Amino acid sequence: MAGDNPRSTASLAGRPIHAMLAPIPIVCFAGTLVTDLVYWKTATIMWADVSAWLLTVGLIVSILVVLAGIIDFFGDRRVRALRSAWIHGLGNGVALILAIANAFVHSRDAYTSVVPTGLILSALVVLILLVTGWIGSGLVFRHGVGVRPETRS
Amino acid sequence: MIASRSTFVTVIGIAALGLAACGPSPVDPKRQIGPNPYLPPIHQYLMPPMHVAKIVGWGPGETPTVPAGLKVTALAKGLKNPRSVYVLPNGDVLVVESGGPKAPVNRPKEFVMNWVEKKAHSSSKPGNRILLFRDTNGDGMPELQTVFIDHLTSPFGVVLVGNDLYVADTDAVLRFPYQTGQTSITTPGVKLTDLPGGPIDHHWTKSLTASPDGTKLYAGVGSNSNITENGMPAELGRASIWEIDRATGAHREYATGLRNPNGLQFEPQTHVLWAVVNERDELGPDLVPDYMTSVKEGAFYGWPYSYYGQHIDPRVKPQRPDLVAKAVVPDYALSSHVAPLGMVFNTGSGLPAAYHGGAFVGEHGSWDRQKMNGYKVIYVPFVNGRPSGMAQDVVTGFLTPDDKARGRPVGLALDSKGALLIADDVGNAVWRVSAR
Repeated sequence: MAGDNPRSTASLAGRPIHAMLAPIPIVCFAGTLVTDLVYWKTATIMWADVSAWLLTVGLIVSILVVLAGIIDFFGDRRVRALRSAWIHGLGNGVALILAIANAFVHSRDAYTSVVPTGLILSALVVLILLVTGWIGSGLVFRHGVGVRPETRS
Repeated sequence: MIASRSTFVTVIGIAALGLAACGPSPVDPKRQIGPNPYLPPIHQYLMPPMHVAKIVGWGPGETPTVPAGLKVTALAKGLKNPRSVYVLPNGDVLVVESGGPKAPVNRPKEFVMNWVEKKAHSSSKPGNRILLFRDTNGDGMPELQTVFIDHLTSPFGVVLVGNDLYVADTDAVLRFPYQTGQTSITTPGVKLTDLPGGPIDHHWTKSLTASPDGTKLYAGVGSNSNITENGMPAELGRASIWEIDRATGAHREYATGLRNPNGLQFEPQTHVLWAVVNERDELGPDLVPDYMTSVKEGAFYGWPYSYYGQHIDPRVKPQRPDLVAKAVVPDYALSSHVAPLGMVFNTGSGLPAAYHGGAFVGEHGSWDRQKMNGYKVIYVPFVNGRPSGMAQDVVTGFLTPDDKARGRPVGLALDSKGALLIADDVGNAVWRVSAR
């Protein structure tokens, strides 16, 4: 049975690294949208600072997530055979480029570090992640990528 | 797979090109010098240009360059961040060695900025003290050098009124007793008043001068941010010129909205206070021009809400239309990002007639535009106490042809023979410009 599922090549003790770390940037980028919205409404500079930190941490962890994802993608032909794996990867690539641009926008000073460009980029990244995250969870929960059920006697 | 990878690389490549290439067409700095500077539209970069001059220092025998009729010599070399100069009535020259406090990191950006700034400033540890230089044989060059006042806190401004010598540390104005001819003061300073200092202390240089009648002191207190990115509470009492009562230490804000005012001087003919002001960054390579201006009592000069009158800065929220409406247009623009930090009116007659009656301005130089601007001392002619005509370069050669910094001019003063003294903080020298 176990041999039928696509393998996760970048794994730690049988746990896929990509799936372990992916929640961190997702939470960071979703958090960026929240603090951007709060800053837009309050103009309290602390929230813009929190956005900038969330974005930075999200991007740094993203490097590991992308590396693990790429290794998984190229590590097993059965992963590449999944159309949704392509959409997941390319979609996240676009989200990442937007998040990098967003980090530059957030490095501006005061109000225009968020409103309107930063806020729009933060929202776009979250929208893309909703789709690619949904697809990504399908890769695991429907296609069983990296899933290795224990053999029952 | 290969197709997708190369697509990815192409997309990143185009994005990077987009970041670097798109910029407004450059404006000739000459169009931004004078009373009516050309102000291009705002341009906020995705990745602002950072072009910091790498410090190479002065080689043996190298000096700044001056026009015919002038000569330049090193009054002192091998100093530790000389930032300002002040000449005592007996001709002794005070040189303030100083450096700013450590900049905090509130945002990821500040990691990068602190690193960039480190590159732009001298690596020698600032002295945070005042040195005294005395010319004992009248040749204009000092034979005696002493430590005049030690253990100061990022000092900058110095002014003598009678027997009271005032030093503006970054966080307080101190008073020291001074007798003519003294070469060292060991008596601890008495605090006249606190000034806005740390913990952020973004613009830390506190310029200082005294009113012609000696009853008031004027201290330049720069803003605590580029453009309010540290929050408005951090700006309390800042971006203003303080008037301090010499007898009581009481103060009020004499003028406000001046982002980073330095070189405070009273114009000798009209007895009006003047300052050079560093304007805001990151609105493009040609915004906002730095300026010199007469300082009107009670006037508001725009920062942070607007610049050059009613030009709104979109980065500042909430706006203050009531203040913007009364924002005063400064007198004379010096062009963008030249970073004027020193000014002196040429009240002497030691220099050629072409330099009589106007003001010298020390331009520390730009770091956030592709083509370097500043890195020189200019002369602005004055007629009847007002700037009149085009500024001209006087002391240049602080940059090498390939944009490396031999030095950067900061504070200016006139010595007892009417020669121009220039503090050069990264060249660790004080230059003396005199008639040939």
